[in-house]
Amino acid sequence: MSKYAIEVDNVKIRFNLASENVDNLKEYAIKLVKRELMFQEFFALKGVSLKIKKGEAWGLVGANGSGKSTLLKTVSGILKPYEGSVKVNGNIAPLLELGAGFDMNLTARENIYLNGLVLGHSRQFMDEHFDEIVDFANLYEFLDSPIKNFSSGMKARLGFAVATIVNPDIMIVDEVLEVGDMRFRRRCNERMQQMLSGGTTLLFVSHNIDAVKGLCEKVLWLDHGEMRMVGDAEEVCNAYQEEQEALTKAKKLERREKLRAQGKKYDYLIVGAGLYGAVCARELTRRGKRCLVIDKRKHIGGNVYTENMDGIQVHKYGSHIFHTSNPTVWKYVNKLAEFNNFINSPVAIYKDEMYNLPFNMNTFSRMWGVRKPQEVKKKIAEQIAELHITEPKNLEEQALSLVGTDVYEKLIKGYTEKQWGRDCRDLPSFIIKRLPLRFTYDNNYFNDRYQGIPIGGYTKMVEKLLENTDVMLETDFFQYRKDHPDMFDKVIYTGMIDEYYDFCYGHLEYRTVQFETERLEEENYQGNAVVNYTDREVPYTRVIEHKHFEPEEEKANPKEYTIISREYSTEWKPGMEPYYPVNDEKNNALYEKYRELAEKEKKVIFGGRLGTYKYYDMDKVIETAIADVKKELKIRV
Amino acid sequence: MGLLKYRIKTFLKYQDLIQELVSRDLKLKYRRSFLGYVWSILNPLMIMIVMTIVFSNLLGKNIENYPVYLFTGRLLFDFMKNSTNNAMRSVTGNAALLRKVYVPKYIFTFAKVTSCMLDLVFSLGALLIVMVATGAPFYWQILLSPLVIIQLYIFCCGLGFFLAQLNVFFRDIQHIYAAVLTAWQYLTPIIYEITKLPDPMPFLIKAFNPMYYYVAQFRDLVYYGQFPGPRIFWGGWLIAFIMLFVGIWSFQRSKDKFILYI
Repeated sequence: MSKYAIEVDNVKIRFNLASENVDNLKEYAIKLVKRELMFQEFFALKGVSLKIKKGEAWGLVGANGSGKSTLLKTVSGILKPYEGSVKVNGNIAPLLELGAGFDMNLTARENIYLNGLVLGHSRQFMDEHFDEIVDFANLYEFLDSPIKNFSSGMKARLGFAVATIVNPDIMIVDEVLEVGDMRFRRRCNERMQQMLSGGTTLLFVSHNIDAVKGLCEKVLWLDHGEMRMVGDAEEVCNAYQEEQEALTKAKKLERREKLRAQGKKYDYLIVGAGLYGAVCARELTRRGKRCLVIDKRKHIGGNVYTENMDGIQVHKYGSHIFHTSNPTVWKYVNKLAEFNNFINSPVAIYKDEMYNLPFNMNTFSRMWGVRKPQEVKKKIAEQIAELHITEPKNLEEQALSLVGTDVYEKLIKGYTEKQWGRDCRDLPSFIIKRLPLRFTYDNNYFNDRYQGIPIGGYTKMVEKLLENTDVMLETDFFQYRKDHPDMFDKVIYTGMIDEYYDFCYGHLEYRTVQFETERLEEENYQGNAVVNYTDREVPYTRVIEHKHFEPEEEKANPKEYTIISREYSTEWKPGMEPYYPVNDEKNNALYEKYRELAEKEKKVIFGGRLGTYKYYDMDKVIETAIADVKKELKIRV
Repeated sequence: MGLLKYRIKTFLKYQDLIQELVSRDLKLKYRRSFLGYVWSILNPLMIMIVMTIVFSNLLGKNIENYPVYLFTGRLLFDFMKNSTNNAMRSVTGNAALLRKVYVPKYIFTFAKVTSCMLDLVFSLGALLIVMVATGAPFYWQILLSPLVIIQLYIFCCGLGFFLAQLNVFFRDIQHIYAAVLTAWQYLTPIIYEITKLPDPMPFLIKAFNPMYYYVAQFRDLVYYGQFPGPRIFWGGWLIAFIMLFVGIWSFQRSKDKFILYI
């Protein structure tokens, strides 16, 4: 016996497309006279060779019409090759269709026999295995009802049970397991695994690439009847998937180009390619709306924008660390990018002293040399008591009454004053409502369940969000609206809301930061991603060393240099880059007025940090954007 | 020689399937009817009564025991008509299956003809009832009638194969064949006696109508109680085998192309 179970040698399968239309005598006579009978030939397989060893599991992948089923039918003997040869050693159980040959009018019992006999078993064999089949199909109650009353899942179950009673030498499966419920599919899978380990050779076709990877060792990729790639399952599947995705992308792009060339109106004009705008764009596009995203800046991403500088992802608008407790949002972003396990544990430098942040046992023990939480609590309580503050009049008194003298002096005072450009005694107390103190040795800054940074930077993630949307950069909304008033139906506006209304009630105030980014020719500057400088004498508030956001990248490609950004707080004046809304009473009241205007707009939605004058963490931005789109499209949540 | 052996082997392998297909046809035919298999007898009986009433005064005036005369002819012709009609559609009718599983395709054609033959055997019961009811004489030659039925069975298999493969390529055959059958029926002496026809019709029918051979033989054995003449007896066998050969040959030649057309 040969060691090969299936030998396919240069097989060609020819269909005559012309003769498809010739199934009556008149046509035949006409075509015969015109000599058109063999003109439109079509090769479903153009020379496929394949040698499958006994016991191997092979998968076939390829687009619709690539010849997968044709090849299976040829191996099963249903189609005869036009050229070439097929040699099969052993008996075949073909599952090209579950329950092929079921007679709808017969009962399940009768069909089990009929189907088994069609598959080439003898009646005696069927008698012996009847119970086993009924057992697997789990259809005891319905044995004597006609199967026209069966559900498609029940039929599939019965079909699979009959087809796999025998341990065949070769099993041929053509996407038949996609039907049926999950339990059934799992059982089918188990049965197939069992047969595979029993030495059955498998030839498997499925559009479910994961199923192919799971079952098969080798894969053949067919493309228009030709062999595109043969080899290791993982490798071929990945190549195939990549190409498929590229094709889909190209198709979508082509469609978009066409619509753009036609100058077709957009459903939504999204102003601002930041996180909010990008999520809206993706969610709307996904639901069949056509969007155009415009942004003033030269790049997408808004403030989460990261730029690759000499192989380091630089957070151009300040450090962005993604953290959330919402599993849905975490799943959402993980579909867009792979996240690393970065945990934010900043440190603070005060003169020549160094402390862990947030305020936790590491901080306190360094400050006072104590170890026990009780001692710390006592110490702080003592400090607070000495001050006799009953009604905090300003930020200083507020902070002191919360954390005591030492922590305030060393870690809060200077930093806050630099941030606001004013003395703490001149700042209102509401800026600090609470100062969480942690009585554990835990340097993790955030309390959220999930945390990390997208590997390869945020820009890549935003690109993914915008992959199917038209984007125009360096485009000012007001200019665009003037030039193309008819190009869009609705607007999603993520810019400053006061600017939208031409500052008719006056300017909203913002706090802003500036960065001084520098490349240093040393390998490691500060040993941490974020270091806060809390004394007033150092002009900057923080230094960010960008390479530490991506330790895995540094490990893979160690660099002799580093890039740091010094962060300065500056007083904001109209025209500067707005960062943080100042949600004091005055500004909130002003915003309220703008919001009333905004609510009257039927075709404009305001969103994001500047559009709603509210500070958002990234996870909240995503949550809000998704919710807003659902509301807009009236999808029930 | 190897090929023949292989053919016999597959035939034996699939004999259970043939049995199952035949029994499916029979089962389904009368499923959910109150009288079930009784209809196999009742149905021809009823049609026979109708035809006797209609034709006995018209054509059967001089024919002794017209019901039996009529019945012997009609039974065979109906078998031929049903079996070849069903056989013609057997390949195209199982297209869904043939596209998915490898099964020798002749199985379906063969099973159809066979199930019709079993139907005929049931109907012979009706014939016996008519013979008893009309007081017709029973001759011992009636025991030889299986020989005729076998001849006709072989003939129908052959014709069935031929029609089945042709129908795959040209569906018009179904309509043409329906017309052919009608003509054939009237050109076969079933309701009339061949001697009553004007010349040269009797000669032509005897020369070119295969059904004449089987009907005549059957009547000789059952109705007249005599041995059929050697011409129609051996002729019957010869025609049956020629038809079978033509059928198998044409079927064999084109069976690999079926899949492209069904």
